[in-house]
Amino acid sequence: MKADRRKLFQSPWEFREAALIVILLNAAGFAIQFALGGSGITMPVWPMNAITLTILGGLILTTGLSYRNNRLVAWLGGIPLGLSLILTLAALSFIGGMVPQESGSNPTAIRLGLHSIFSSWPFALVVALFLINLGLSLSWKLVPFRLKNLQFILFHAGFWIALSCGIFGSSDLQRLVVPVEEGQANSRGYIMKSRTAQELPFSVYLHDFSIEEYPPQLMLYDPKNDRLVMNSSQAIPEVRTGATAEWKGIGVKVIEFIPSGLPGKDGIPVPVEPATGIPFAKVSISGAAGEGETWLSTGGPMLKPGAVDLDGLFLFMVPGSPKSFRSAVTLSDENGNETIADLEVNKPVNFKGWKIYQMGYDEQSGKFSTLSLLEVIRDPWLPAVYLGFFMMLAANTLFFWNGIKKSGASS
Amino acid sequence: MIIDFTTAAYLSIAFWLSGSMLGIAAKSSPAIRKTATALNLGGSLIMIAFIAIYWQALERPPLRTLGETRIWYAALIPLVGLLVEYRWKISWLKYYCMGLAAFFLTINLLHPEVFDKALMPALQSPWFIPHVVVYLVGYVLLAASSVAAWHNIFLSWRLKEEKSYDALSHYLALLGFVFLTFGLIFGALWAKDAWGNYWSWDPKETWAFIAWLIYLGYLHAISHTVNRLKLQWYLALAFFVLLVSWFGVNYLPTAANSVHTYQQS
Repeated sequence: MKADRRKLFQSPWEFREAALIVILLNAAGFAIQFALGGSGITMPVWPMNAITLTILGGLILTTGLSYRNNRLVAWLGGIPLGLSLILTLAALSFIGGMVPQESGSNPTAIRLGLHSIFSSWPFALVVALFLINLGLSLSWKLVPFRLKNLQFILFHAGFWIALSCGIFGSSDLQRLVVPVEEGQANSRGYIMKSRTAQELPFSVYLHDFSIEEYPPQLMLYDPKNDRLVMNSSQAIPEVRTGATAEWKGIGVKVIEFIPSGLPGKDGIPVPVEPATGIPFAKVSISGAAGEGETWLSTGGPMLKPGAVDLDGLFLFMVPGSPKSFRSAVTLSDENGNETIADLEVNKPVNFKGWKIYQMGYDEQSGKFSTLSLLEVIRDPWLPAVYLGFFMMLAANTLFFWNGIKKSGASS
Repeated sequence: MIIDFTTAAYLSIAFWLSGSMLGIAAKSSPAIRKTATALNLGGSLIMIAFIAIYWQALERPPLRTLGETRIWYAALIPLVGLLVEYRWKISWLKYYCMGLAAFFLTINLLHPEVFDKALMPALQSPWFIPHVVVYLVGYVLLAASSVAAWHNIFLSWRLKEEKSYDALSHYLALLGFVFLTFGLIFGALWAKDAWGNYWSWDPKETWAFIAWLIYLGYLHAISHTVNRLKLQWYLALAFFVLLVSWFGVNYLPTAANSVHTYQQS
């Protein structure tokens, strides 16, 4: 190959120089990280982050356009450096994908930032040089503008915007957990990382918290081997009236199913309203040991689960996993603006620049929980990041189209 | 249970096997070749029909467990092989594709999964299907690209052939990369709705990002002067990174903190 005959750092620079510079950059990054005792890099907050980013972007554009014939600048925005940086980002991410993040005991590893690689100095330096490389290459395709460069521009500009705004904007992100009890309001949120409380510009009143569960399931437990006995179809039978299940000679039929019940005067379960009861099922069992009928229950805060002993195997009814949980809330700010909303997982609600999420509940109480945990997030840089994402998607649609077209021409 | 995976899987494998044997035996007869293609296609259609029935029975998309994603993979990858044959008149790729599909169905036959309807609330989203299906199509295309690259390496090593199928592995990688990008960004948009973060360096996200970067690297290497055989090695091996991001992540020390691991059942 030609590159091998060229001396190192002899113009024009190529892959070897790029690899060497990137390795030195990483060494410098880890050295700084180590010297600072493992404290990673902290981003400035608004407006300093926006000012820094604007200056960086402006500098890259002016340098790219004024010195596009300079060999060093051409190398800085070229593919050899770009490819080296892409693979270095992959290598640093590989550390993040192998070493557990935000937990670790080896002091050297902690000090080198291996447990917080994505906020470490080497990662920051590589991303900074990557933004320069990406920005320079973009400036040359941007001016003069040609339609055939549209896919390149959309992809590279989109990536630049999403990456830079995601990183520079991360310091402006606010994320608080708001616990609310049914029938009460709360305007105080907690930052989980720093364990501090913060007053919100609005309050949340919880009318009702409710959980919908999947139907309970029947399971046969073998205590000697500590495992569940599976039937031939590998299905865990659901409990509903008329359902049948079979395990190696043991047949079970659900005669009556009460999704929400409590024991009546004579001990026989009677239906009650969903908020207070637990599932009960009357089953008939047939097998080698004979036939019989009995009540099973999943158990609840006040009641032990009812199981059946079948010659050393136990027939259980386990509660279904939560299908959905939602909070009916009223959100109100100090100016008297009010919004009534149903919060559910995957269905956040916007209010005054904040997004409110259903996060969790008191899991020990399960469906009897009267506590709802909400998360409120303010992320002012999100529209910029999304703009970047959509530009990349548009570029990829073009890429797909051109790829299909070109591949036809070459065959 | 009405849905019998075992029968469907054996039937598909039988279709692929008979189609392949017929195709290899009767290269010169167009009529028999058509029958062979119909059999190959039939194998995938059986799997697609099974997915549809299974979806109905589960009352949720069968995309939650690793085994369920393998069924999709097995249904889709022979179609890539057949499309490549139809589009570029390259017939060898489909045999590898059907071999891979049969391999994945065999894993499912050896490790039957629990039939479970439950779908946790975080997965109940309009993003669920596009995110996972786009990724699976990407995986399938890149698997085919890797197979083509291995084939190219074999050709240059064994037959010292300079002219090989570089364009095929390239275009499959290009199309696969497009799907990876869509999958990654759809995932980010979904994550914002489900957890409030579009990116949180969850191990699965990190590995998906690594895989994406690796293929991004390929696209830059090919637009520069890089030796062609090196590029084939690159594509052949890049797929292993993708395998880590598909299921290898579950076995890494970082997996304990992940919200993404497939539920084991």
